[in-house]
Amino acid sequence: MNYLVWYHLAALILFGLGLYGITCRKSLVGMLISVELMLNGAGLALVASSRLTPALDELGQLGTLLVMGLAAAEATLVLAIILIVSRRFGTTEIADIATLKG
Amino acid sequence: MDQLSGIHLAYGLYLVLIICGGLVAVLARSLVRALSGLIVTLFGVAGMYLLMAAPFIALMQILIYVGAVTVLIFFAIMLTRTSEGESGSESGRIGRGFLGIWAAGFSTLVLAAVVIRHMPKAIPLKPEVTMGRLGEFLTGPYSLSFELISVVLFVAMAGAVLLGFERRKAK
Repeated sequence: MNYLVWYHLAALILFGLGLYGITCRKSLVGMLISVELMLNGAGLALVASSRLTPALDELGQLGTLLVMGLAAAEATLVLAIILIVSRRFGTTEIADIATLKG
Repeated sequence: MDQLSGIHLAYGLYLVLIICGGLVAVLARSLVRALSGLIVTLFGVAGMYLLMAAPFIALMQILIYVGAVTVLIFFAIMLTRTSEGESGSESGRIGRGFLGIWAAGFSTLVLAAVVIRHMPKAIPLKPEVTMGRLGEFLTGPYSLSFELISVVLFVAMAGAVLLGFERRKAK
């Protein structure tokens, strides 16, 4: 096992924790936190792949930078959506947001 | 040899930070506590970037994630008053927890097997990329993605502001 594998395993741990959180969390904010965990894992894997293989360094680092920008944009939008949901339903628990449920 | 053990020690420290912070972020009942766990994890990932000699990305991680994104999530918690934590019946919780462990564990194990079996050989760490080189890339061959990400950010901000206005008008 070389260094690359170790960094990718750390990224996989982040991914697994985020996936567990997104299935088990019961509030929208908790799910947002889990999504941020998964995005961090993606960034770590990108930088590790570009730094420790013959691939172009700048590609991985700039890709991670773009992932961070997308995460910031996503967090902004999710904040607005959570605000509206909490105003309209009075809660952010996903089990209670069931207007469309048959 | 001494430097090598230092690297291993730093890697282990950051890995412990990531795992403990991630567990707190996923399992804590109180959302503020979960967010603190997320911050610890973000610092651990920033340390791993430093370990790979990518200090610019590490700084950006601290600046964007710890500085901006977590503050946004704090605002989301504060404005919706969900800091008391999650309620819910115990019976449903156990079933969901089992399903969550199954989903996350299965996909993680499959991916880990692929990573361990098929990972190409790592080369020794390349010299650090200067910030000027990154800037040249961002304004040269990747200027389109740079512009696109700024458009995406602008649209997200404008959309958030618009959603907030509409809520106030409807009231």
